[in-house]
Amino acid sequence: MSVDQPSPSAVIVADVTRREIEAFLYLEARLADESRYAEWEALVTDDMHYWVPKGAADYDPATRLSYINDNRARLATRIRQLRTGLRHAQTPPSPMRRIISNIEILEADDAAGRFVVASNFVLYEVAAQATNELRIWPGRVTHHLRRVEGRLRMSKKIVELVTSELPQPNMAFLL
Amino acid sequence: MIADYAEVIHDDRVHGSLYSDPEVFDHEMDRIFRRGWVFVGHESEVPQPGDWVTRLIGLEPVIMVRGTDRTVRVLSNRCAHRGTALCWREKGNSRVFQCNYHGWTFGLDGSLRGVPHKAGFERERAELGLDRPRAVELYRGFVFANISGDAGPLSDHLGAGGRELIDRLCDLSPTGNIRLDAGWIGHRIQSNWKMWPESDEDGYHVDFVHISMLRTTQSYYQDTIVGGEASNNSRAVDHGGGHSELDMRPGYKSQLSWLGVTREKVTEYCNAMVRRYGEARANRLLWEGPPHAFIFPNLFLAELNLARVEPLGVNLTVHYHTAVQFEGVDDQFNRRLLRQSEAALGPGSFIVADDAVTAERMQTAFAGAAVGRSSNGFGAAWIDLSRGQKRERVDEQGRRIGHVSDEVTNRAFWRRYRQMMRAK
Repeated sequence: MSVDQPSPSAVIVADVTRREIEAFLYLEARLADESRYAEWEALVTDDMHYWVPKGAADYDPATRLSYINDNRARLATRIRQLRTGLRHAQTPPSPMRRIISNIEILEADDAAGRFVVASNFVLYEVAAQATNELRIWPGRVTHHLRRVEGRLRMSKKIVELVTSELPQPNMAFLL
Repeated sequence: MIADYAEVIHDDRVHGSLYSDPEVFDHEMDRIFRRGWVFVGHESEVPQPGDWVTRLIGLEPVIMVRGTDRTVRVLSNRCAHRGTALCWREKGNSRVFQCNYHGWTFGLDGSLRGVPHKAGFERERAELGLDRPRAVELYRGFVFANISGDAGPLSDHLGAGGRELIDRLCDLSPTGNIRLDAGWIGHRIQSNWKMWPESDEDGYHVDFVHISMLRTTQSYYQDTIVGGEASNNSRAVDHGGGHSELDMRPGYKSQLSWLGVTREKVTEYCNAMVRRYGEARANRLLWEGPPHAFIFPNLFLAELNLARVEPLGVNLTVHYHTAVQFEGVDDQFNRRLLRQSEAALGPGSFIVADDAVTAERMQTAFAGAAVGRSSNGFGAAWIDLSRGQKRERVDEQGRRIGHVSDEVTNRAFWRRYRQMMRAK
């Protein structure tokens, strides 16, 4: 996180729009928590970018390594791999629940149906594949949302972990 | 208490307590990581004077830094006064190292430069420079250190085999030089560190550990390492000195298989290779690709990636990786290597995440192994490494060679390990 740049201010949108955005975030979180891969994948656009940077999301992911840097095709591969049922790093799928809060709408173009939304989260995961420890994943997510045929979809999900400068345990689930 | 490591390390089996006994870990930190050569980093990580990175050699914190004389040095990351860590970030650039505790300053060469309130300082400054490994040597930009200084020259540690492996990677660059400047990704695994030299060089597990990857993507692994002896003729090679390789060259079906492209996709790179090496040698290099090899005890030449294994405790390891970047190629080429690296290695990757769980499952199973060390029945916890022992052969250079699925590579690691652990 760079403090040299001013932090963005939230924008005000119509209450019904805010409710629509919140409902999307909660649905996306629940589907990820429950490892409902196909339903989760139905929420993404054809130009989806799923990015878990190392450190803050203040670099061009093309030029440096990230934990996860999936374009739409690679994300499809990720989900195909999970759906084989043979992905040992998620066999069984981790029991998970995440809390989302501090939802701020940073950019809104209601007419065009485009929004940038930031939120904080804490994800609790049991690493049920081997160690059975409880892993806690705090961080901030930025969603880029777009209305497609009347429904919100995400075209970008950036996950900035609080711990992202540190070595990470397996993150084979959907963060 | 292990009186003699030969009792728990045989040629074809080793005891599981070697992964879980804290006393063994302490011996390793001394006999392997202090008295032996250890990979520290690559000089391209510190291109400018004052550039530094922090690392561990065993559990010893060090700084790898380029001096104003452009020499790369490895210094203790511990103030010579009261022991405070001087650098606590992953990397940086400094003109001097200043301790925050009492303000002592050290030059980039580790010499003590300044002591505040010097009237009460009763020693010679020369006595209190930063500690450092007694031996530091580079081979093709790879920086190795030997803390004790009694491991002999680096060239003996690497041997002809280790040097050839590093050469084969660097020679794929059209300038002969690689850069490690894409950042390191750390993968934290609750296993002993030795699972990593083992699994990184295990040519037998891919069908099983990586079955979900194999069912989801197309890769050259299908031709080179999957299906056992019935379907490929790749080789497992013991290069001596604990260095080992899964040699996939016999399995490649075309030039640049290892890059997953045809020549037309990377014309500029191929032309640069021909300009440097001539058509014949370039053709061979472009066919053979980079090695999949492990340099004892902690450096994984992971084809177009590098990984280093950092033991943090008997049950905790970080597997760091970065993408190899070539000099003399366009950005698009290097970016391809970054994307391949993200797919293959690290906590969110399609491959190594599955190895990590496997290592953690092994660690879980060895939790109580030390208790059964002297018994032979239930609880004895030996692991079997005999696969292919009878069919391995020794070539004219003294390398042991077997089928890629044979445990030649694992036996190579343990043979060297046993030799170092037996030295008192």
